[in-house]
Amino acid sequence: MPQEEMEAAGSAGEKRDQETLESVRSVVFKPSISLEEKRFTKVAGYDFNQGLDLLGLLDSLSGTGFQASNLGDAIEIVNQMIDWRLSHQSPTEDCGEEVRNPAYRESVGCKIFLGFTSNLVSSGIREIIRFLVQHSMVEVLVTTAGGIEEDLIKCLAPTYRGDFSLPGASLRSKGLNRIGNLLVPNDNYCKFEDWIMPILDQMLTEQTIENVIWTPSKVIARLGKEINDENSYLYWAYKNGVSVYCPALTDGSLGDMLYCHSVRNPGLLIDIVQDIRAMNGEAIHVDQRKTGIIIIGGGLPKHHICNANMFRNGADYAVYINTAQEFDGSDSGAQPDEAISWGKIKGSAKTTKAQVLQSRGCPPAVEEVAYHNLNWLEPTTLMDQHRL
Amino acid sequence: MSDEEHHFESKADAGASKTFPQQAGTIRKNGYIVIKGRACKVVEVSTSKTGKHGHAKCHFVAIDIFNAKKLEDIVPSSHNCDVPHVNRTDYQLIDISEDGFISLLTDNGSTKDDLRLPTDETLLAQIKDGFAEGKDLVVTVMSAMGEEQICALKDVGPK
Repeated sequence: MPQEEMEAAGSAGEKRDQETLESVRSVVFKPSISLEEKRFTKVAGYDFNQGLDLLGLLDSLSGTGFQASNLGDAIEIVNQMIDWRLSHQSPTEDCGEEVRNPAYRESVGCKIFLGFTSNLVSSGIREIIRFLVQHSMVEVLVTTAGGIEEDLIKCLAPTYRGDFSLPGASLRSKGLNRIGNLLVPNDNYCKFEDWIMPILDQMLTEQTIENVIWTPSKVIARLGKEINDENSYLYWAYKNGVSVYCPALTDGSLGDMLYCHSVRNPGLLIDIVQDIRAMNGEAIHVDQRKTGIIIIGGGLPKHHICNANMFRNGADYAVYINTAQEFDGSDSGAQPDEAISWGKIKGSAKTTKAQVLQSRGCPPAVEEVAYHNLNWLEPTTLMDQHRL
Repeated sequence: MSDEEHHFESKADAGASKTFPQQAGTIRKNGYIVIKGRACKVVEVSTSKTGKHGHAKCHFVAIDIFNAKKLEDIVPSSHNCDVPHVNRTDYQLIDISEDGFISLLTDNGSTKDDLRLPTDETLLAQIKDGFAEGKDLVVTVMSAMGEEQICALKDVGPK
């Protein structure tokens, strides 16, 4: 090829390359909009040069990203639940003199429902729950049968750490029951049996002679009274008048005890209809108060609390802490937005789901909440006197 | 303890014990056991090992030996159960009175008149018919827990 042609071809090629480069650049380096820091939080983790500051660490969660951010949001929403007062909104036109009173309005707070699955009570989270109930930070608890008995059993004998990989057959031969990486010896349940049978006998007598109608929540209150141990959250629930609902009371060792008891000494009746009246009433008869739900885990406690709030057209605040996923359509994995479609949570509610391991997310969340809560006022019971 | 099945006074020996204790885990099928004060024959035993339900347990299904009702019990296998002494004695049938009592000849020649006719229909028919026909009948009386009842019949007369 002659020299001039080559040069011409070369510069034409260069021009093509330049054009290609320009078009690639305009795609890859598309100019971005600027994110206003008012609306978008900068990502920044905790700087340990500041020392071991727990509250500072918790404050940094929101900016850490991923589920840490969700956990940080959850903490923020719970703080809002605690902070809300009736005085934050103006009185309705038709309310009475008493309700207009500013001091009164300042004393009316949000009603908080706490739901959790039984594995959490088997774990050390039980101490966290006990703390919350001991200081009346929550008003209604919903859990499963294991959530009741594991708390009582821990007062009789301890649960131990084990490992997820311990072989089942070997454990069975040693009389050890595995809950995840925790171990509960059979002996613990024998102690539970010895402890509870006379109480069930007594309850049957009271039913027959004094016409007591037992419900799961009444049974639980009685067991909390009988255990009489400050390590038990049920003891504090009994002492502080915190209602504990457990419609599936038979689905655990408690059910085994009720079964054996009914063969030897039949007749004990436990009324779940009365309890569903009471549970839904917890949400309905709150008058002007807002309601907040904190649910750790999924399953029955999650649905039971959300469903009760449906009767008041939805809770105002909702925090879920669990690892369940929504892809299978399960209620456990459902996001707060799904509950909004049912009217279980208000469309305007402040909600979040922190997909963190319950055992990991709980303690820090509660630390922050507890600190925030130091000036917690007991919500007024005046409104609640209207309940059935 | 319900006594509605107990129709009559029984002249049980004052000093003899009606039951003896036996560990629940050792009671087998076809053995005897007292459930809710009734003497029963065990038809089914199943055991569940120590676990979430507490101590190891024996689940008994048994039939009341006098009224054939099915009774159940669940007992920790290390606990003692009451086992009834069940005796069977043969007596010769002497007479059937109008109000349904039976007169029996005891070994020592005296009569035992405190038993009623059995409630079981087949047995009742056999006794009534056999007696009416003048047959020589020997009845087996089963006794346990202070209760007695005719449980079998034999024709010992010439064919």
